[in-house]
Amino acid sequence: MSLDFGVFLDLFVDTLGYWWIIIPGTVLGILVGAIPGFSAANTIIILLPLTLAMEPATGMIFMVALYTASRLGAGIPAILVNIPGTAGAAATPLDGYPMAIAGRGQQALAISFTASVGAGLITTVAALILIPWLSQVAFHLHSVEMIVVMLFGISLIATISAEDSIKGLIAGFFGLMIGYIGADVVYEAPRGTFGFLELYDKVPLIPALVGLFAISEAFVVIERNTILSEQGAVKQQQAGWGPTFEGIRDTLLHWKEVVWTSLLGLVIGVIPGAGAAIASFVAYQQSRMMSKTPEKYGTGHVPGLIAPESANNGVTSGTLIPLLIIGVPGGATAAIMAVVLEYHGVNFGPDLFESQPMIAYGSFTAMLITYMLLGLLILPLTRYFSRVMVVPTVYMAPILIAFTLVGSFVPRAYVFDMGVAIIFGIIGYIARRTGYHVAAILIGVILGPLLENYFLRALRISQGDLGVLFSSKLGNLLWILLLLSLLAPVLRNYLARRKAGKAGDRGARDEPGA
Amino acid sequence: MRKQDRRNFLKLSAAGLAVMGMPSLGFSAGFPERTMRVFIPTRAGGGADRNFRNFGGVWKNYLGVDLEPSFYPGAAGRVGYETYMGKAAEDCHDLIFGNMGPEVLNWVVKKPSFALDDYFYFMMVDADPGCVFISDKSPMKTLDDVVAEGKKRTLTVATSRLAHPASLGMLVLANKTGMKVNLIPLSGGKNTRNGVLTGEVDLGVLPLTTAMRRKGIKILGLFDEQNLVSQHTPGAVLINPEYKLGIPPLAAGARAFGIKTAAAEKHPDRFDKLRQTGEKVFSDPAYKEAVTKGKGSWELIAPGGVEACRKYVDNITTLGKEYRSLLTG
Repeated sequence: MSLDFGVFLDLFVDTLGYWWIIIPGTVLGILVGAIPGFSAANTIIILLPLTLAMEPATGMIFMVALYTASRLGAGIPAILVNIPGTAGAAATPLDGYPMAIAGRGQQALAISFTASVGAGLITTVAALILIPWLSQVAFHLHSVEMIVVMLFGISLIATISAEDSIKGLIAGFFGLMIGYIGADVVYEAPRGTFGFLELYDKVPLIPALVGLFAISEAFVVIERNTILSEQGAVKQQQAGWGPTFEGIRDTLLHWKEVVWTSLLGLVIGVIPGAGAAIASFVAYQQSRMMSKTPEKYGTGHVPGLIAPESANNGVTSGTLIPLLIIGVPGGATAAIMAVVLEYHGVNFGPDLFESQPMIAYGSFTAMLITYMLLGLLILPLTRYFSRVMVVPTVYMAPILIAFTLVGSFVPRAYVFDMGVAIIFGIIGYIARRTGYHVAAILIGVILGPLLENYFLRALRISQGDLGVLFSSKLGNLLWILLLLSLLAPVLRNYLARRKAGKAGDRGARDEPGA
Repeated sequence: MRKQDRRNFLKLSAAGLAVMGMPSLGFSAGFPERTMRVFIPTRAGGGADRNFRNFGGVWKNYLGVDLEPSFYPGAAGRVGYETYMGKAAEDCHDLIFGNMGPEVLNWVVKKPSFALDDYFYFMMVDADPGCVFISDKSPMKTLDDVVAEGKKRTLTVATSRLAHPASLGMLVLANKTGMKVNLIPLSGGKNTRNGVLTGEVDLGVLPLTTAMRRKGIKILGLFDEQNLVSQHTPGAVLINPEYKLGIPPLAAGARAFGIKTAAAEKHPDRFDKLRQTGEKVFSDPAYKEAVTKGKGSWELIAPGGVEACRKYVDNITTLGKEYRSLLTG
């Protein structure tokens, strides 16, 4: 499976020959990513008759281009109008949207795109080099380890509710409770569904997501003339190409952030059942934890935008690895890709890299080319995308609500889901008006079911013995890291206070007359 | 009373048509008038999706219209069936395509909101036997090894869901041999394979085609009395006779088309057209090509009509009732 540089170059040139399918895939990917509800997975499902009719390599390259571009496209509404159209972009508005309100939407888009493209290129190359080792990750991360990974993400509730921890924790637990609605994973027994069949398969994520963020936001912004603050509006009006270059520069200055969060995304992407939402929340939480200025997160801080965007693009290449090596898709989109390849009788496994390199390695070279194309295609558009922000809210709010309602309907085609979006919109509005953090609710809704899934599985395997949570070496190492990451801010504050206290004492001693 | 009437009706209509040997296509010349809508109670990308695409891709040529799948996953198929019974028109244009075994076992565990004879299966597509499999890295190499190990300690057994024919097979095997097993439902075939491949559980049970010919997986045995795909399952034993389980062959994957009883009653000519055109698919070389191309096994394609489906449903219901306490919380 090791790939020498000459073969890589040959494959890269061969993949360039598929430009005629990569370009439409990329453009379509940006569009479906930017429209809430139209994820890559459901678009590929809609297009199955087309992809099934293509040669397997052509179909795979098309799907990879679409998937890659959709990941990047999802950041656009998340930043500009606070609509994370997919769960993978749910952490993006935490710092992206405050930047946009402040009139730095164009800069935020440039940061998001540069970080996404950079992360995509880094992780695709890393994936190509590390395939033999990365394919083994899934063998070591079982339910117990995944519980700790989930807790890394969930601990973000405590982090973002630092200003009012009681309200933050209430919001987080409320989200977790909502996340447990639906049939349980062991006995398939429905819980808290209020008799609604539509809730048996859990609270639908996209309606909850767009309701909490977008509809509640529409209710809030309607009270203002534009989404932008007064200063932001002035700044936006005066903006030329400067903010785009500023965004690129900001990202390049934080290149280390891009590298480590994208690699984190790659590793999480390799784990079947994990995915972009977990990766982006964990990356955000870790970035904040390691930052020297954690208080700036959530206010429009550049690393707070880079971390989730780099991580969710890192997932993109990671999710293909278990699919191609062991036939186990890393995520929903990869599962649909598996359908297409299996339809053509493609056999997954290390042999695939020898027998059909255009499918195996070609998926990664197509991803590289798509990211390069995206860099050229989308960065110049930041200036024009950001103009959305100056549209008066009297027009913008109804458009937002209409788009989000359509987006809520699309994934399952239930009218019921539009009602769910409106209910979550009202919950989000009340939360905003009373000082509860909607992101804390959302983290509970997204990660709660996953945590429950792994927790119940681990308990089932151990026949109810809670000691299973500390039964693996890797799991115990992760527990220690989790504990350290939770204690680090407290320790850092304590040390800073102690240092300041000593400096104060010295200052007092040094004062004349002391 | 109602139940008996409908069963009689179906028996009579099937038998009558068979005796007469004459199609009633003349009565249904305008049918189908629109795209056929097929409700699938599982996620896109699973075994039912694959089988539907293979079959539907050929069937549309005989029906003259496309078959459009709609996926309604959730609660082990319950969402799909409830949605079908609630939304499907009673004009024979709306069908359901599911895996009879696990979906019928659902009703054993908890009854649905509709009466069980409000729908029936009329065209079985395959009979995919349940199988026991391990990772090729497992220290256990044969089913005897598994049984011996299971007598020493409780083995963790991955399964798609608890109420599944493959799970039932494992429970019967454990019951007969005295081995101890702990079924771990992992929600779907891919997750079940993954659980075994990554070593989180000791072994797994699934429909054969979901586990067969997969990298790193070794099939140890089939809950069947004959092995139609021995070329793909070297060394696999036939568990039912070998361990004297005393159960009928357990097709863990028995995908079939179903229809609302009221639709078939209101439009017997249309129902008949569906049945007759469907039968033609099995002898169409394009169907065989689609099945074999998509990693399926032609040997496991098993056409079956109303009676065959009903027999299967009755068998699985009887066995499910016997082990009901182990399948529910």
